Amino acid sequence: MNTTFSLAWRLFKHEARRGELTIILFAIVLSVAAVLSLSLFSERLQAALTDRTAQFLAADRTLYSDDPIDPAWLSKAEAMGLAHAHQVSTRSMAFGEQQMSLTDLRAVNLDYPLKGAVKVAPEPFATASETSELPQIGEAWIDSRLFQLLDVRLGDSIEIGDANFSVARVLGEIPDAGFSVFATDPIVLIRQEDVEATNVIGPGSRVNFKYYFAGDSSALNAYYDWLEPQLDDEIHNWRSVEDDDSPIGRSVGRAEQYFLLASLLAIILAAVSIAVAAQRYSQRHYDPVAIMKTLGASRQMVQRIYLLQITFITLLGIVIGAALGVAIQQVVVWAIADQVDVSMDMWHWRPLIIAVFTGTVCAVLFSLYPLLKLFTVPPLRVLRRDLGAGLSSRMIQFLAAGSAIFLLMWAYSQNLKISAILFVSGIVLVASLLVVTHGLIALGRKLGQGRMGPWQLAWARIRRRALDNSVQLISFSVTIMLLLVVLVMRNDMIKQWRDQLPEGTPNYFLINITETQKPQLQQHFAKNDVESDKFYPVVRGRFVAINDERIRTNVTKEDEEDSNEGRQGLGREANLTWSLELQDQNVVVEGEWLTAWQPGQPYPVSVEKEAAQRMDIKLGDVLTFNIGSEVVSTTVTSLRDVNWQTMQPNFFFVLHPEAMKAFSPTYITSFHLAEERKPEITALMQPFASVTLFDVDARINQLRDVVEQVSMAVEFILVLVLAAGSLVLIAQVQASMDERQQELAILRTLGAKGTLIRLSVIYEFLIVGIVAGLMAALTNELSLYLLQSQVFQMNGSLHPEYWLIAPAVGAVIVGVLGALGCWRLLKLNTSQLLRQMV
Amino acid sequence: MIKTKNITKRVTTSEGELQILQPISFDVKAGESVAIVGASGSGKSTLLSLLAGLDQVSDGEIFLDGAGLHDMDEEQRARLRGDKVGFIFQSFMLVQSLTALENIMLPAEIAGMDNPQKRAQDILDMVGLAHRGQHYPNQLSGGEQQRVAIARAFITNPQILFADEPTGNLDAKNSEKIEDLLFKLNQESNTTLVLVTHDNELAQRCQRQLQMHAGELTEITENATDTMHKQAV
Ligand SMILES: Nc1ncnc2c1ncn2[C@@H]1O[C@H](COP(=O)(O)OP(=O)(O)O)[C@@H](O)[C@H]1O
Ligand SMILES: [Mg+2]
Repeated sequence: MNTTFSLAWRLFKHEARRGELTIILFAIVLSVAAVLSLSLFSERLQAALTDRTAQFLAADRTLYSDDPIDPAWLSKAEAMGLAHAHQVSTRSMAFGEQQMSLTDLRAVNLDYPLKGAVKVAPEPFATASETSELPQIGEAWIDSRLFQLLDVRLGDSIEIGDANFSVARVLGEIPDAGFSVFATDPIVLIRQEDVEATNVIGPGSRVNFKYYFAGDSSALNAYYDWLEPQLDDEIHNWRSVEDDDSPIGRSVGRAEQYFLLASLLAIILAAVSIAVAAQRYSQRHYDPVAIMKTLGASRQMVQRIYLLQITFITLLGIVIGAALGVAIQQVVVWAIADQVDVSMDMWHWRPLIIAVFTGTVCAVLFSLYPLLKLFTVPPLRVLRRDLGAGLSSRMIQFLAAGSAIFLLMWAYSQNLKISAILFVSGIVLVASLLVVTHGLIALGRKLGQGRMGPWQLAWARIRRRALDNSVQLISFSVTIMLLLVVLVMRNDMIKQWRDQLPEGTPNYFLINITETQKPQLQQHFAKNDVESDKFYPVVRGRFVAINDERIRTNVTKEDEEDSNEGRQGLGREANLTWSLELQDQNVVVEGEWLTAWQPGQPYPVSVEKEAAQRMDIKLGDVLTFNIGSEVVSTTVTSLRDVNWQTMQPNFFFVLHPEAMKAFSPTYITSFHLAEERKPEITALMQPFASVTLFDVDARINQLRDVVEQVSMAVEFILVLVLAAGSLVLIAQVQASMDERQQELAILRTLGAKGTLIRLSVIYEFLIVGIVAGLMAALTNELSLYLLQSQVFQMNGSLHPEYWLIAPAVGAVIVGVLGALGCWRLLKLNTSQLLRQMV
Repeated sequence: MIKTKNITKRVTTSEGELQILQPISFDVKAGESVAIVGASGSGKSTLLSLLAGLDQVSDGEIFLDGAGLHDMDEEQRARLRGDKVGFIFQSFMLVQSLTALENIMLPAEIAGMDNPQKRAQDILDMVGLAHRGQHYPNQLSGGEQQRVAIARAFITNPQILFADEPTGNLDAKNSEKIEDLLFKLNQESNTTLVLVTHDNELAQRCQRQLQMHAGELTEITENATDTMHKQAV
């Protein structure tokens, strides 16, 4: 054993020093470094993004409750190291001198907010900035709108319930205001100590108690585990950052999925490169094994020596890879520090464990087969140089490699869907490649005939080695395919994000425009060069029954706080609109649009799909609304899919204009005002005092900000994966170059001209590159379609441009790399080549 | 030292079965030096591989120092090779990633001898490469590499040495040096030597010469006809 160890160690030492381990070491280093840097980076990013999202909750977790909770729950949270804050909110009337308005009253304690910040503006509708202060006792900070609605100024006093408050600041923004731009009442922020005096909280009033918690996630999870059994579904609702269904939450969620995907791809890349390198490593050791066996080494001894060697290599690879991975990740974090606020103070162990695990598993599993093969090399090889290894059941190799990759992906992502999609695409790719190689062989037989030109030589070589080196072709294709997946996915994703908020997205909304004001407003805007959007007629209606079943007014209690715009009011009052035109970004998914209605039939209504699902509304159901004193019955004729991520008014219920003829609506519209024109807003709206103005710039900017950061992060991940992939490609070409060495030497000794050889090698690589690129582009479509439709909730689309780009780029890259490698070989003279052969 | 009885070698190729060696029987005494000559492709290396236990006979019996090679599996033959056999090859067959010294140590280490390094250094002196011990094979000339190989062959004091075209890759001057060294060490350690070559001059330096022709072996030394039982085919 001692001899074995020292022999193994000596071989390892010399080979490492002489650079003979470069390729396999490189593969392991690459896999560990790529997996580590990617997952470390994405873990950090996720932490940063989660933190960002937490700012929209004002906490990491929140607990909504209809009643005040047991104070013991809060002490427990404190004991577990969590920070907490609370808020009591209700809808209440506020009174100015003359005017009154319904408000969203929020009374908070001094610890609010745990995440994010309250913003105040120097005057209504001006740009808000962060403050660390909160209202003093007796003060109210009120929304810009409310200044308009109540006709008050800073320093005036307003009345809420039985109490008087002095209007101390313009409330620009609170973190958990929600993304809703309609049907929300202007917010009034006061201190919790003042609530009692108002007397607005009493029997019959709808009050929400909200508790905020922040801390590290393990403590939060532990707390929830403790709390959960005591919660009552009817009364309590626990929310975490991950439940965030707002546009921001979705963007971040999608980005996280992308990071996961990228890390998985890194794992596959790593596996592929290790497989290639291990095969080559094994081939290079046929001679030493034959020599050792000839000199009397037992099979067991040879096995031990090489298992030890692989262990040494793996260990070294892991150490270097880990160091490199941390370094890369650090550099990337520094590079984007300006754009994305990624905290460096937390060290994440999971990525390191994953990386080491991946490196080990890949090294072991993918070198296992080549090693087993190596062990079977007969001693007779010392005399008969053409003797290779005995073992050859490629099927087993593919099976073992495939299941290893699949298990790794699954274990890592814990997402069966993504793993399965990537795996299936991989299988399809490999299978079609095998078919294609056979086709190529047949084709090559035809083309390869005739005079021995470079093309003939190239085809002949491909034909001869096609099956032998199908591993190589597969690894090229898989690498290119993976690169395409991350690239195209990123393009599609970022495009969708950008489309969501194009330049000129409306940043102001107007509601309560009367029929008579509508033309005046349009004129006024035209004169002032402001372009307004469509005017949507709106009538408030109380949704009272589905078929004969009366509905509780608070069916959707939780939705009260839901952040999807338009969803509020579903409980008590709904905004009803009517139009024969289907709105942008709306798609009828069931039934027929309103235009199919014929006079004489019951009035039709189109319902938003998710709302319908929640309230169990089916096509053909009769929905009854109370509008004023009238009762309107409508039959559901269509369900719509609505893109909630757009900043446009969206409605749950769209009715037929015919049904609403009797009602006089108010109108909603939106418009965009460029940043530099913001000061004009007060003057612009001056003539329309009764029209309510919403400034959603802050929300849009927040959303844009997050989208920018997330895009940036995605961009960097893409670069990392591309870099890793290119390195793998280089390693692959390098490895296959070495295999050609012998052949080149023989051609050279036979007197073949340098140009002939060089051209033939370049052509060979070109052909391989084209085939690999094309196959990669085609299978890319499959995996993208599956990923986008099944995982990313995007509409899949074809990308025909890549069907040309990928083969072209594949051919160029693989061809150039091949030419470079070949040039290096041809620089050596024949005797050097021959010397290297033996 | 070596006894063979009707050994043959057949292989199956894509064109069907191929008989490489016709039944061969002959003996080699301990301490004897035997040259096997013949045209390229006549089966010399194949015979050598059978005698050295690198390959299995198709039929017949081989005894190496009394042990029946034909009955042994690869593991047992490996042990036997390690214990009793030394090798020298045309293409040197040094482990490229070990130094000259380590290459020489290799058989001693495999056999579990003590002090392999000291032994290797001594023998390296003997072949005149004392100062090249730390060099890798590709830093040595062909002649030097073969000297290392010879040193490696002798380190375990084998009872029998097999050499397959030991000078085949060398120029005339180096060839001579190698031959001298080989025979010198051989005589000093009284090793049995079986040497394959197509160089007649080299063959002449052996006590006996056997001729291989298309898989058939004939004795061409007059003085030793008695040890050769010619086989009627
Ligand atoms: N395993 C094998 N399969 C096919 N042919 C073989 C095999 N082993 C040896 N041969 C053939 O047998 C003949 C003798 O080979 P060899 O013993 O190497 O000849 P020599 O050493 O005399 O040049 C050659 O034609 C060789 O090609
Ligand atoms: Mg031979």
